[in-house]
Amino acid sequence: MKDLVDELAARRQRARRMGGDEQVARQHAAGKLTVRERLDLLFAAGTFTEIGVQATHAGISPDMAGKETPADGVVTGFGRVDGRFASVIAYDFTVMAGSMGRTAEVKCNRAREIAYSKRFPMIWLIDSAGARIQEAIGSRNFAGSGLLFREESIMSGVVPQVAAMMGPGAAGTAYIPALADFVPMVKGTSNMALGGPPLVKAVVGEDITAEELGGSKIHCEISGVGDLEVADDRACIQAIKDYLSYFPSSNAEKPPAIACDDPSDRREESLVEIVPDSARRAYDVKKVIRAIVDHGRLFEMKPGWAKNVVTAFARLAGHPVGIVANQPMVLGGALDIDSADKAARFIMLCDAFNIPLVFLQDVPGFMVGSKVERAGIIRHGAKMLYAVSEATVPKLTVVLRKAYGAGYFVMCGRGYEPDLIVAWPTAEISVMGPEGGTNIIFRREIAAAANPDEERARRVEEFRKLINPFIAAGAALIDDVIDPRETRPTLIRALEMAQTKRVERPWKKHGVMPV
Amino acid sequence: MPEEIKAHITGVVFQVTTKPGDTVQAGDPVIVLESMKMEIPVEAPRAGTIAEIRVQEGQTVQEDETVAVMA
Repeated sequence: MKDLVDELAARRQRARRMGGDEQVARQHAAGKLTVRERLDLLFAAGTFTEIGVQATHAGISPDMAGKETPADGVVTGFGRVDGRFASVIAYDFTVMAGSMGRTAEVKCNRAREIAYSKRFPMIWLIDSAGARIQEAIGSRNFAGSGLLFREESIMSGVVPQVAAMMGPGAAGTAYIPALADFVPMVKGTSNMALGGPPLVKAVVGEDITAEELGGSKIHCEISGVGDLEVADDRACIQAIKDYLSYFPSSNAEKPPAIACDDPSDRREESLVEIVPDSARRAYDVKKVIRAIVDHGRLFEMKPGWAKNVVTAFARLAGHPVGIVANQPMVLGGALDIDSADKAARFIMLCDAFNIPLVFLQDVPGFMVGSKVERAGIIRHGAKMLYAVSEATVPKLTVVLRKAYGAGYFVMCGRGYEPDLIVAWPTAEISVMGPEGGTNIIFRREIAAAANPDEERARRVEEFRKLINPFIAAGAALIDDVIDPRETRPTLIRALEMAQTKRVERPWKKHGVMPV
Repeated sequence: MPEEIKAHITGVVFQVTTKPGDTVQAGDPVIVLESMKMEIPVEAPRAGTIAEIRVQEGQTVQEDETVAVMA
């Protein structure tokens, strides 16, 4: 017995040395932590149970003969993140570049099953060259593969799914983040692409580096596939914890409320100063958000992409909320294709996990013009209509200033079942602005007038008088006009009131989402 | 390296707020466009000197059109 137990210890020790000292030194030299160092940061000390540490490669390829693959290049198991269970799949780049082997896939299937059947978050730490070609090449090896993406799709909206890019993720490993809810990317070391640089060179003849092709800047600022660029591995693990702190373990639970010492009745004097007197001038809506939420803290999703809309998690009286706010600083706050995509996705994410939504409106409308029409803005804008209509979580709307056209609808206007909709005295709710409206309605009268410019100005002023929050509130179409300083207490009272919200919808298999 | 500054939205030039030779910081407005009934600044992508302004107030510019050049 003693000999056998000693052998077990030796085998474990061998697996925990990963790809060996030389490979570990290379991993560190590249500015990356090893997979086991990452898991030590992720899970509370002593809570991680590893599954499949004895695994080794499947021995199905002659090219693999004589090779050792500790844990088959991926560490899997479960542990506690800030007290709650999560399952993990963490690729080990020191073992054959973290390539996905056949045995590794068996381990990953097991880790997903644990998260899904026990209903707690699934976390991937991706640092992988992609499929292990030696074990995947040929029809016999490949024809049965790929189930991980189907399973990830089925798990979507049931348990939170996080895919952190902490190294490369090529081909197969790039679809894991694509289907996950949250994708932080480490600056400088992570990248993802359906085809890496050698394949790109071979197939389309383009010379490009992995960083230029799919680095954190590309995906967090241009493509929108990444959610957050982080400085290093430590910041990445912290971002995962911060993100999950807003989420329940599954869609069957409510998000966790925490104790809050920021007073619920706090009036915020700065809110009367932030919005400029001129309705044409921009201001930073993040100042408004910080003034309203607990301790001014927010966790932004996709802060570097589609910046004309801000999507962020925050807390009100300790309760997690998802905030959707137009950002007048960028494109005047007008909604375009990417911002509609970003907001629709965020609304669906919050709704899936019972996180109430707060909409802060200051939107001059959707972008118009040939460029956006050709790119399909009607279809993309409809995603936001669809998402806000489908959402059954508590929805609270504050009209800060502009609420024009379909912009008012998609930002949870009166027709979209807000549990409370209030406006600041600066609110302008209308199908379009006075200038645009006048030019269309009174086109003939203006043309026929002795002095068309004077006539237009007179008509614009008359039109302007029709756009006023007291008119909307006077018709009881919005619930109230509030002093901006009362925004936080007003939202908190409404949020607490809406906790018991129940919406019944007719059965359907699923709608036809305008993707 | 000279660098072209491009409009990121179609609109009318509302104000030219810099001139050739001016020193700017990253994020400073170089010109201000009017679009969607909002004043929307076109910002310097980096710190440096303005070499050329290619537009005039009142002129319509298209998205991706060069409005100024940095030295």
